[in-house]
Amino acid sequence: MQFAARYQDGLVAEVRAAECVLDLAADPVALVILDAASREVLDRWDASAAYLLHSRMIELRIANRKKPAGARLGVTGVADTRSALGLLPMLHTGQRKDLWAQLRILVLATAALASVLVAYLYGIPLLADRLVAYVPPAWESKIGATAAAEIERQMTDGKGYVVCDPDRNSAANVAIAGFVSRVFDGLDSPFHPTVTVVRSAIPNAFALPGGRTYYLSSLIEASRTPDEFAGVLAHELGHVYYRHGMQSLIASSSTGLLVGFVLGDMTGLSVAGAVGSHLIDNRFSRQDEALADRFAAETAQRLGFSPKGLGDLLERVAEDDEFSRALALFSNHPLTDERRAALDALDTPTPQARPAFTDAQWQAIRNMCPLPSPPPLPPLAGSP
Amino acid sequence: MAEASEAARVGRVEFTGSRHELFLILIRGYALMLPTIGLYRFWQATWKRRFYWQNTVIDGEPLEYTGTATQLLAGFFFALAFFLPIYIALFVLSMQESSLIVLGYLGVGLIIWFLMGYAIYRARDFRLSRTLWRGIRFDQRGSAWAFALRRFVWSILFVLSVGLIYPWMASSLWKYRWRNTWFGDRKLEIAGNWRIFAGPYFAVYGLNILTVGGTILWMTSTGDYRHAGTSLLPGPISILAWIGCVIILALSCCWYRTRSASRMLSTVSLGEAKLSVDIGAGPLFWQYVAYVVCLAMLLVLLLVTFGAVLGSVYAVAVAAGKAPGAVALLSLFQSSTLNVVLLIAAYLVVLGAFGMLAELILSYGWWRLLARSASIANPDSLNTIRSAPEDRSLIGQGLADALNVGAY
Repeated sequence: MQFAARYQDGLVAEVRAAECVLDLAADPVALVILDAASREVLDRWDASAAYLLHSRMIELRIANRKKPAGARLGVTGVADTRSALGLLPMLHTGQRKDLWAQLRILVLATAALASVLVAYLYGIPLLADRLVAYVPPAWESKIGATAAAEIERQMTDGKGYVVCDPDRNSAANVAIAGFVSRVFDGLDSPFHPTVTVVRSAIPNAFALPGGRTYYLSSLIEASRTPDEFAGVLAHELGHVYYRHGMQSLIASSSTGLLVGFVLGDMTGLSVAGAVGSHLIDNRFSRQDEALADRFAAETAQRLGFSPKGLGDLLERVAEDDEFSRALALFSNHPLTDERRAALDALDTPTPQARPAFTDAQWQAIRNMCPLPSPPPLPPLAGSP
Repeated sequence: MAEASEAARVGRVEFTGSRHELFLILIRGYALMLPTIGLYRFWQATWKRRFYWQNTVIDGEPLEYTGTATQLLAGFFFALAFFLPIYIALFVLSMQESSLIVLGYLGVGLIIWFLMGYAIYRARDFRLSRTLWRGIRFDQRGSAWAFALRRFVWSILFVLSVGLIYPWMASSLWKYRWRNTWFGDRKLEIAGNWRIFAGPYFAVYGLNILTVGGTILWMTSTGDYRHAGTSLLPGPISILAWIGCVIILALSCCWYRTRSASRMLSTVSLGEAKLSVDIGAGPLFWQYVAYVVCLAMLLVLLLVTFGAVLGSVYAVAVAAGKAPGAVALLSLFQSSTLNVVLLIAAYLVVLGAFGMLAELILSYGWWRLLARSASIANPDSLNTIRSAPEDRSLIGQGLADALNVGAY
């Protein structure tokens, strides 16, 4: 039995037509490669060291471990392919090894997947938690200032949002600032939060890294008592105190890195990076909200106002408007049943509770965002 | 007589791979890409290269790709080392004042642009040094840093000269690449210079300025436009003119690409063997047309599928007793785990579908077009080429050679 092949020795760029026969008498068994025309011996291969390479469908390519890396036998045609495989059964063993290699790759990929998941679930929260302590507060305040400039620009840029009562010395702003300093008094926090009230139809409030806090007018309108307003404000100040903004910034960057690693986009400028950071924000909010709730409740007890307000207000907002509830859930203040339960558990009624703001103060705060004058009526048809 | 025909022998280049076969490779690849969250892409790239290489048969002997996925993976880790500092720089930057951010992003952008030149050269080196033909390895020498610098400086000049300097830039970069390309112990040579690019380039450049400028001039002089808010909308004849501009742009780009590639590649020689390439512009243009049509069809298909999925989710929500309405629909997506899964799935499906289409029509089409229009004069003169000694430094820096995966 023999087969025809195109032979290359891997040393010279010459292809020679060859006939291959098996020399069973040799030890180890040798594949003898003869020139097709002159029958001169071109090379002798150790048959057991031959292996199959991946090739196109109509060709068999055989290499040899004991020969130069480029040494090849190329076999085409059904008859020759069949006899080559018949003569060299060890080629199949090589293919089985290939299968094992593929399996190893699958195991490796699974391990990689698992480690990415572990990094996502445990590594990043831990990292963000630890790293935030090393970020200097001055730096965090600067980041907050940059973000604030951006947010204020967006809010006031012809979208109908207005900063209410920009005068820092007005009665309402002084009352709020007084409340903030009472909350942070004795807490040993490097931050001095400022609160800005902004007109908006969405009932929400949020805090930026470094302490800049925004309170949207709809939420003030929804508040029935000063304690409700104070409760939500204390909650936001809790985020400032625990540096949640900075923490989630670090976390979302790390997620961006992780997602980039998986998807191969290391600049993090793609959709993947954005998606990654959005997801991490959502995931973090649960734990952080609970911490901020606890902070609000403890503040209420310390300052002597009723801690019930926060839960009441969130619940009312949620019932008021289902659509904005859905939006608020998307933003980051989900009022789940478990959160409500946790809030109720924190609520230990204080007998001598008095409101967080005096009547005059509360009235001033309620009037910070007067309703805008209605748009001018369209001229009647036919009127002069 | 026999001697004469021997000397005049021309080696043909064939391409034997079918689109169907490539499609199966791509489908299998994406199926494995999902469970491995994208890490399979290194194996996928290897399978694709094997397909292209081994089906390209030059003078009766196919090319062979000897690279492995593990090498690509290692190269990716190496690329990480490059990008980690950049990533940290971007993170720190994003927290600075806005004027500084702009400046910083510009700086980082320039660094990435420079590194891309390095990566492109390294990637070509990686592919060439893992390409075997007649049992002999190709190789690329020269310095990747030198190439990156050259490309960087040229591209700055390109911008400064509003593109007019392109023929000199292209010729300089082509020469650097090809004159550093080796087959075994023999160096490739390229004789073409900027003149080859200049003719077609300036013709295309001028033609498109004429058509676009003419359309704008006609639009403004005849007043064939109307105002819609703050933007201008062209009138009916102008719309036709703009469509004409786009078609002329596509046609002329096809003509430029095929013309310059044919003429430039036809000046490549390896000792006494000469490469000759003649690609027609028509087939390439029809490939683009086919791609645009398929893209439109795919978009419609994706939108219909998305609508159907949303509809069925909504139906399930209603059946489960939730209040019908936008709120019910939105509330379904409030679970962050579901969001993660959905977004990643959508990302991969959309990206996969578009990537697959581009691969099947454009990459495959171009490769086959190039292969089938090429031939080698005097291929027997190559018989004396000897394999170069194993490129130790290449193996030593094996990681860097695979920088072609990752960010681009």
